[in-house]
Amino acid sequence: MTVDTQVATTAPPKTPTVRGWTGWPRFKRVIRQILLWIPLILLMLWTLVPFFITVMISLKTRGEVFGSTSVLPNDPSLDAYREVIERPGFRGAFVNSVLVGIGTTFLTLALATPAAYAFARFNFRGRHLLLLFTLLPRLVPSLGLMIPLYQLAVTLGALDKRLTLIVVYTGMLLPLAVWLLVGFIQQIPPSLEEAASVDGAGMWARIRYIVMPLSLPALITIGVLSFREAWNEFTLVLVLTTSPGKRTLPYELYLMQGIQGIQNYPAEAAFTVLTILPFILVYSRIEKYIVAGITTGSVK
Amino acid sequence: MTVASSGTRRGQVQRWRRRKKPGASGPRWDTGLAGQSKLAPYLFSTPAIIMIAALLAYPVIYGLYKSFFRSDFFGGPEEFVGFQNYSEMFHDPAFWDALNKTAIFVLGCVVLGLGLGLLFAFALNRVVRQLRFLRSVTIAPYIISNVAAAVMFKLLFNSDFGLLNRTIAFFGFDGPAWLADPNLAMGVVIFCQVWTDLPLTILLLLAGLQTIDTSYQDAARVDGATGWKQAWHISIPLISPQIVISVVWMSYSTLTGLGVVLALTGGGPLKATQTLPMEMYSTAFTDLEMNQALAIASFILVLNAILTLLYVGLARRYGTVE
Repeated sequence: MTVDTQVATTAPPKTPTVRGWTGWPRFKRVIRQILLWIPLILLMLWTLVPFFITVMISLKTRGEVFGSTSVLPNDPSLDAYREVIERPGFRGAFVNSVLVGIGTTFLTLALATPAAYAFARFNFRGRHLLLLFTLLPRLVPSLGLMIPLYQLAVTLGALDKRLTLIVVYTGMLLPLAVWLLVGFIQQIPPSLEEAASVDGAGMWARIRYIVMPLSLPALITIGVLSFREAWNEFTLVLVLTTSPGKRTLPYELYLMQGIQGIQNYPAEAAFTVLTILPFILVYSRIEKYIVAGITTGSVK
Repeated sequence: MTVASSGTRRGQVQRWRRRKKPGASGPRWDTGLAGQSKLAPYLFSTPAIIMIAALLAYPVIYGLYKSFFRSDFFGGPEEFVGFQNYSEMFHDPAFWDALNKTAIFVLGCVVLGLGLGLLFAFALNRVVRQLRFLRSVTIAPYIISNVAAAVMFKLLFNSDFGLLNRTIAFFGFDGPAWLADPNLAMGVVIFCQVWTDLPLTILLLLAGLQTIDTSYQDAARVDGATGWKQAWHISIPLISPQIVISVVWMSYSTLTGLGVVLALTGGGPLKATQTLPMEMYSTAFTDLEMNQALAIASFILVLNAILTLLYVGLARRYGTVE
């Protein structure tokens, strides 16, 4: 609906316009186009300049960072990256991040799918109350969990374990995951399952062969959001891990700033790039799921 | 509801009912499909509910409860002290200082975030062909870690070689030491926090703008309203639910946000960016006073709840949000 009017205003006139009295509106239109693009260019600069600067610094040498006034590196080198990858801290944290990310994704999906199916398809006593109890904790900020979870982890001897991180992240993600999936499963026509039931398909078969394939977009969205949370989360990993080799990438990156006597800026920049690069690469393939997920999921 | 319908159950004959309120949710079964038992929904939802209870509900209640206790030394036996942690907190100048800093931080982030969010959302709303590309670039800051964003901003605002000071030096001036100056550090922190939060704000506002029926704008155009007037009198009132949601979300994110501040300044210089979450963190993990820190955490959670209710209440009062 908005498309029609906007095409009319943005598309350049195909037929050559008659000069003279039509000149003024045309001039106005050009001005409007420029005014429209100024904020968009600003937006791109605002978004991309920090990334660009970081990548450029990561390609410089330590001396060049201070010495050269040019933004671009004179002689781009990957030494900083080599240095970062050779650090045991980075490799350990990378492996931890990957494992925790995958673990969180699978555990979240494994627990959210049956719960969402139950809430979407069954009329059972206490449904509303239980659904409310499942969704409301979405409002709890991780800040409120830091100290209690730390104390509980100490009591249970669960510090420094990947499984602890996986379980904690899954708990934090479940309200959102169930919320997204319930809405999605409710939109799958129940007649499909009825037909399968007539053909003798049990509940597991129906979930496996009808519900899950049809809610694949929602499952991918949840998987991506789960992986992102596990990959990026900082405040909880900060308190739930204490020894080297157990941390994830954000924590290791945070520590890296303090450890060196003389700051090694190219290495810091390279570490940052290596931390964000894997997810950016994944992201470019599945962007639409993320857009859907964060606009519907973050609200409420 | 359940009882009445289960009376008419006929073995394996499948049957579904619409909910009483149409449109509120999709159709659901009671029981009766192949291989379906009455216990199934409970069995299915129990694991998720246990996880949420154990990892979200219980810790919050535990934290609230423990904020009424105190131990003489870290890890020592705890005794009930009533509201003593709270009364000490309210008599602590450091707490009020942190509350002040938090107010500046939250207000700065919300104002800057909403201003930029509206500007960019309106601009994106006018784009058709390149929208997908522009939108996917816009989201980038949201999908990276707070720590990564903080490191990038440290490089950007570095007093020796940061892009900003290099640009200032190009014009022949000396740039300030952004992160070492108590007056400027808060600005940088706000800037960085807004940078990480803005994509979601833009997407929310854009989603609102795209649902506006063009007939409103057409009608306004007929009446002679253009540009700013149209935006101010038509679009902004129509997307006020999205604006309220953005404001709620941004103040939630900044009031409870620790990552950016901790990684960027750690509360410094000279406690210039010591917000309440930082105060909670340093009380708990530097001073090792867990119970006192839990009092601060509880205060933040309550403040957050009050602020959310306030926004929603205000919006409802002025008749814009359902």
